[in-house]
Amino acid sequence: MSLELHDIQATVLRPRPAPYFGTHVLLRLNEAHAGRAFLRRLTPHVDSSAGWRIAANAWLDVGISYAGLEALGLPQESLQSFPEAFRVGMAARARQLGDGGVNDPKNWDKPYGTGQVHIGVSAFTDSEDKRRRVLAIARAQYEGFSGVSVLAVQDFGAQPGDLNPLGYKDGIDQPPIEGSGVEPLPGQGRAIKAGEFILGYPGEAGVPLPMPQPDVLGRNGTYVGLRKYQSRVGAFNRFLRANGRTEEERELIAAKLVGRWRSGAPLTLAPDVDNLSLGADPQRNNDFDYANDPRGRQVPLGCHIRRMNPRDTKLTRLTDVNLHRLIRRGTTYGRPYDPNALSEEDDEVPRGAIFLFMSAKAMATIEFLQQEWINDGNFVGLGRERDPIIGLQEEEATFTIPREPVRRRVHGIETFNVLRGGEYFFLPGLSALKWLGELG
Amino acid sequence: MTTQKPMTPDPERDARVEQKIRKLKELYADAPELGKVALENNLPGLKQELGAATGAQNAGRIGARQGRVSELTGIFPFAKGGAKRLRGLLQLLEGNFKLADAVGTVHDMRFVFLDNDTKLLFATAYDGEWDAYIDDFATKIPDALDLLFCNAVGWPGTRSPKVKDWIVEHQIAAEAWYVADPNLTVAETRRLSRIGKAVDELLDKIG
Repeated sequence: MSLELHDIQATVLRPRPAPYFGTHVLLRLNEAHAGRAFLRRLTPHVDSSAGWRIAANAWLDVGISYAGLEALGLPQESLQSFPEAFRVGMAARARQLGDGGVNDPKNWDKPYGTGQVHIGVSAFTDSEDKRRRVLAIARAQYEGFSGVSVLAVQDFGAQPGDLNPLGYKDGIDQPPIEGSGVEPLPGQGRAIKAGEFILGYPGEAGVPLPMPQPDVLGRNGTYVGLRKYQSRVGAFNRFLRANGRTEEERELIAAKLVGRWRSGAPLTLAPDVDNLSLGADPQRNNDFDYANDPRGRQVPLGCHIRRMNPRDTKLTRLTDVNLHRLIRRGTTYGRPYDPNALSEEDDEVPRGAIFLFMSAKAMATIEFLQQEWINDGNFVGLGRERDPIIGLQEEEATFTIPREPVRRRVHGIETFNVLRGGEYFFLPGLSALKWLGELG
Repeated sequence: MTTQKPMTPDPERDARVEQKIRKLKELYADAPELGKVALENNLPGLKQELGAATGAQNAGRIGARQGRVSELTGIFPFAKGGAKRLRGLLQLLEGNFKLADAVGTVHDMRFVFLDNDTKLLFATAYDGEWDAYIDDFATKIPDALDLLFCNAVGWPGTRSPKVKDWIVEHQIAAEAWYVADPNLTVAETRRLSRIGKAVDELLDKIG
């Protein structure tokens, strides 16, 4: 089955450019009429996935929260057709997401979790100059109009080497989507049914997932879970120094936590030292499985990439790994990673990542990942051990590195990435955006 | 449960316990004599339990949970011929549930036929939250649940998006739920038994 690419927003299928530059804008609609007028002005500038191959283009995407759909005057019957977790919003699902302690919504940056965020507009492109131009197009649709208020503007990208805030190349492994026309890269595995990611198509169980009504609103749409993290770079570097005597030892531990070296080279293919050319080569840097590493002696069972995509790892629970994938667009903001940042003040330097996680059931998938694969270790027989990179750590957290003859258990794992905000958005298809603009 | 340490002085807690005991005495005021005596005799032990922090949690949308172990109890009216089919199936299985082994989270299951074979009481203890994994059943073992539950009235099928709501509709939350080791999941139990065996083998070699 082929997808209606011309109707699906560009961000869904278009990979993040390299290098990448962009901006997230969060908006509030003060009045339904003005909100719909804004949407009508903006929609012609929202790109579709049809041109996904031209990653050098600049593009805008637009997501609408449940409060935003209410503000636009969507009829009650339609509002009720959205899933519960989307309706109440990410902050209200803190229990299901395990967002307690330092990640509790009461500690979030404004305006996240306040119910004020109605619309999220993001600009993606490959140069600073284009970022300014495409953002100016978006701004021209809301600036100077009453009824639309800007709540927050966050630039992202422009990092040396596109490294994430902890100093790794990221965004390498993405789920392959059937019928998208996006050529699969070696190691991605078999294509997953499009209905898992885009509404209106059959999913892995052979039937479409529940879709907001009417059809014109739901079709070709998807959900986005936005999660904003602050990276505690000082704590991360202190941890590496406490557990590695030499630079080589520290970098090996850093690689074991993630499952890849900082270059992106996977430990499976480069078990002993980093390999820059391997890390940089998309034809090779994801081309592996865990058939020869069932116990995690190369890639620890509890490391970040093996949790986020266990591939052929034998799990303790009956699991279909293809049902728990998300399209990820990581966007790094703030100062680049500094390997010499060691102080507690460095933990609070604004620096981190805003992740966009997309799928046709993003709320359920994010809750599953948070409960099962991030903040727990039971699924790979690691008890209560958590994801060392994005987990919310308890006191005396550990990380197990399987070795011969006995495993090494590293202590002193902290919450290296603290959640500072989150929202759910619906990312409508382009015809749904037009329909929304013409409501009422 | 964890062993209880001697309680430190805490007037607020003592007042709470006293209030609970007054309530219990009111509740048992119309109990048979034997029940009233039992309450009096149990009071020293009950004081410890009534003063402890709550152990009850919720499992997902409905059901009780202690630590990592949840309960699911439901009453499902049989479809026409359903009771006969299910009883026959269960008898032929002779207590073997290989697919439940494969699921890796099911501690136990019981199938009780009620009211002249008109309803099924199904009760299970399992790890975590079932609805997180129901989609996995739909693609990995869709027929296993259908084979059992096609015998209930209105079963929508494991693949149906309505299946979660259907189960919740029939579920009855347990009023109370006790688990001896609330932190022992099926996976953890299997791991510990493997470790125990390995340690014994090692000790055999040394000793």
